[in-house]
Amino acid sequence: MVLLRKKQSSQELLKKGVLEAGLCTGCGACVSLCPYQVIYHDRTVQLHNCDLEDGKCRAFCPRTDVDLAHLRDCLFDAPDITPEIGSVKGYYFSRAADYQLREISQHGGTVTALMELALTEGLIDSAIVSSRNQDILQNGVRIKNKTDLRKNTGSKFTVSPTVATFNKIVAEDAKKIGVVATPCQALALAKMKLKPQQDDANNIDKLKLVIGLYCGWALSAEKFSKLLIQNKIDLTAITCMDIPAGKNALELHTGNGIKSIPFADVQNCVREACGYCFDSTAEFADISVGFARFGNNWEEMRGWNQLIIRSERGQQLVDLAVAKGVLEIREAPAESLKELKNAAAEKKKSALKNIIRKSGSAKNLLYLDSKDPMVKRYLGENE
Amino acid sequence: MSKLLSPAGSEVLFMGNEAIARGALEAGVNVATGYPGTPSSEVIESLGAVANARNLYVEWSTNEKVALEVAAAASFAGLRAMCVMKQNGVNVASDFLLHLTGSGTRGGIVLVTCEDPGALSSVNEGESRYFARMLEIPLLEPANFQEAKDLTRWAFELSEKIKNIVVLRSVTRMSHASGNVICGKLPTKSRRAYFVYDGSIMDQERGPVIGTPVVAKHYLQQEKLKKAAALFEKSPFNNYRGPKKPELLLITSSACFLYSQEAISMLGLQKRVGLLKLGCTWPLPSKLLKKHLSSTRKILIVEEVLPFLEENVKVLAAGILKEIGIKTFYGKMDETLPSAGELNSDLVAAALSKILKVKYQSLPASYQQEIKKIIPLVPLREQTFCPGCPHRASFWSIHNAIQLDGREGIVCGDIGCYALAALFPSCGFNTVRTLHSMGSGTGIASGFAKLGAFGFAKPVIAVCGDSTFYHAAIPALINAQHNRADITFIVLDNSGTAMTGFQPHPGLTISAAGDAIPAVEIAGICEAIGAKVAISDPFDLDKTCKILNAFMEETGSLKVLILQQECALSPEKKDKKQFLMKVDEELCRGDNCGCNRLCTRIFRCPALVWDRAKKKAVIDDVICAGCGVCYSICPQKAIVRTEAIK
Repeated sequence: MVLLRKKQSSQELLKKGVLEAGLCTGCGACVSLCPYQVIYHDRTVQLHNCDLEDGKCRAFCPRTDVDLAHLRDCLFDAPDITPEIGSVKGYYFSRAADYQLREISQHGGTVTALMELALTEGLIDSAIVSSRNQDILQNGVRIKNKTDLRKNTGSKFTVSPTVATFNKIVAEDAKKIGVVATPCQALALAKMKLKPQQDDANNIDKLKLVIGLYCGWALSAEKFSKLLIQNKIDLTAITCMDIPAGKNALELHTGNGIKSIPFADVQNCVREACGYCFDSTAEFADISVGFARFGNNWEEMRGWNQLIIRSERGQQLVDLAVAKGVLEIREAPAESLKELKNAAAEKKKSALKNIIRKSGSAKNLLYLDSKDPMVKRYLGENE
Repeated sequence: MSKLLSPAGSEVLFMGNEAIARGALEAGVNVATGYPGTPSSEVIESLGAVANARNLYVEWSTNEKVALEVAAAASFAGLRAMCVMKQNGVNVASDFLLHLTGSGTRGGIVLVTCEDPGALSSVNEGESRYFARMLEIPLLEPANFQEAKDLTRWAFELSEKIKNIVVLRSVTRMSHASGNVICGKLPTKSRRAYFVYDGSIMDQERGPVIGTPVVAKHYLQQEKLKKAAALFEKSPFNNYRGPKKPELLLITSSACFLYSQEAISMLGLQKRVGLLKLGCTWPLPSKLLKKHLSSTRKILIVEEVLPFLEENVKVLAAGILKEIGIKTFYGKMDETLPSAGELNSDLVAAALSKILKVKYQSLPASYQQEIKKIIPLVPLREQTFCPGCPHRASFWSIHNAIQLDGREGIVCGDIGCYALAALFPSCGFNTVRTLHSMGSGTGIASGFAKLGAFGFAKPVIAVCGDSTFYHAAIPALINAQHNRADITFIVLDNSGTAMTGFQPHPGLTISAAGDAIPAVEIAGICEAIGAKVAISDPFDLDKTCKILNAFMEETGSLKVLILQQECALSPEKKDKKQFLMKVDEELCRGDNCGCNRLCTRIFRCPALVWDRAKKKAVIDDVICAGCGVCYSICPQKAIVRTEAIK
């Protein structure tokens, strides 16, 4: 017997399936679309109830069900697809040619160099990057020129509701937008490309470039700020954060010198949602960038990035950057790629393990589909 | 000239409360005090308007207890004084009232309580007649408008005869209905205050005004009550109409007399039912009652709200059972009449027809069926804040701040228009969780804040109006500060006792008589007790919300946010729009917007209307107060505001 029941609203489904389930990544995909979903600190908050059944909020969320295989087909060339790290057209080590930029960057300054180029060449008119507020909270900011871009370099470790800023400016005057995105944010932007909504669906065509960042986890601002306060660190005095190679600690550069917090303590502050993340290399970006450490080669590769070119558009930008002399690239050794793939596979396996632990059954993978070939592959290893 | 000062002999249409005020003037009242509360407020308001002309001292006091204390001082100095309040105000005044009845009074003093059966404009239907019995003082209840005036005048004389305070009780249908009243003479001479205190402690006229020695003074008080009972036996305010030996004796008082009279006439029972109307209901005139109780075997007692008369008559009857014989009593206790809510002529007629087995139907049988058909057609409407009401904006920010905070903060409500947020949760955006007496929201919040050790971890907010702040919130606020209760206390300051009609309070620069006086600032008081204080305009939604979030996050102490914005109906604001509001049809995307009608579905100012034909929001210009707040909530900025030309 079929019971006739009112469909649950998108907002309710989002609340039960994502927010209350601890799956929310804080990416901001459900924000700035309506007056109901907002980000406060790094939490997604539902201000008032909304009874719409086909809300964009749920459609865009990277933690609601999605056909990843279909998405890959739409966005990438089939021969490029790898199970571990998604589409790979090219894999290099890279760094900004401008040493001044490298000085102020976390690693090689690749992301900033590419975004700068995209802006100056007019490939995009606005870049969205994350920017730290007075404390450890972040926000996605719209950048229209090179100088402002350089004010926002460096890793921040907490999430930024970057996609919310995209939702906002895409409805305003921006015509060509580039986004620096974490894997969850890149997935949200990719879901928009499927145009699930009729209204405004073509806005997503204004997205011209996604530079993805490798990401293992992000910190909960609430827990992390408590930890910093416990360690008597003034949140407003932090200028830069880093996890130096070989040291098992997070270093915070403040006005009063460098303070160090044991990494075990920091790990307790990781957002629950990060444990369920299946993607550590931003598989749905045009280009993905990360740090270039591998094997025992710490020192040699300091100041370089890893670079994965995923799409045609990504390829063109990197080619242009090299031709214009703003980016230096070099071939990456095969063992580096192997190491990256192994690490990404491990992340997938542990995500599935955590998902199954949460759902209580290998048949219920929350936002993932057990029939997806990539999921299946790692699921098998879990069983 | 105020109609309250009409010459002797003229017949004037008075509202019940005006008739009470005129009665006090005829009695030569010198001092009148009160705290606003429906249905009582017009008594002090009308006296305030003639205060200068009649050389009266009239004040709105901070609360009912203080009002009675101020009035008592006048009585101690030999003047005539009146103190006016609504039913639950008597509870506030009752502590002092107990002690006052013990010490006795000098100049005539009358406590007027206007009560609200059916809670038409209250959150209770409290009965204060029991205070008269419990505190052993006389109780009078006028049953028409002429009596409202005459009984009030006589109450002062009675008070002076027995040297104690007298209670005069009215109800909404007496206080707020109007009727013709023939005026009596206004005195030409005013009394001089003269306070004597050096006589013996037992000397009511010349000694210190004090309730000790308690037992001796208590006996003295009871003597006074007996004296009142003796006067009641002959009072013209108790009267009987009907046959000598009625089939049924109907005993009643107050507005119920009018219902009873009408019911008897509707059923044509004038020859079968005797109507004993009592103007003096405590102590009971026992001889008068004995006479009438002896005349029949069936007795119906009609009164609002609790069976006060019924209990007292039954106790009296039990004591004289041998003389009057066995009776059958009908009333509230046997459920012949409903035990709660207002009565009316139909209910009394139904009771009479049941007892006397008379066929009676107030409405044709088809009426109920017609009603059933119509009910589904009536749109569901709940009460809500007026267009332009600052409370809607305040609760909007409170709601948003609680949602953003994420710890499911609770709001303790209080008495004022903002109680609507508790009574009709959606107009307060589902924030208010408790609602009791004036000022109690703050005390309750202070208590919730101390439950941390038992696992209660929600942020606690108390809301309170400006008048309520002075009335009863201050002790609770000091308690919160003293006991380090972590609460966010919000004063919804709309510049007046708005719900009862903009009577002044200590925060304003005007007295009850209309004279200019300095204000007592709420912020200054809160700062003085050591609270962190912020002030915001509730129409500035962003700023208000940010302050609230900062306050909720700052733990361990008392924080006060004063939200200042005048009531939309205040005389200063009424009919003056600050903004002209308009929905830009180009910008409003209607159902295509992701907003899902935030303006008309959630914010729900009555001036925001959903145009079904255009499928867009529109402003109802007639009722829009021009506050401009909806401009801030539309995500499309489709609600446009332009500064109105003044």
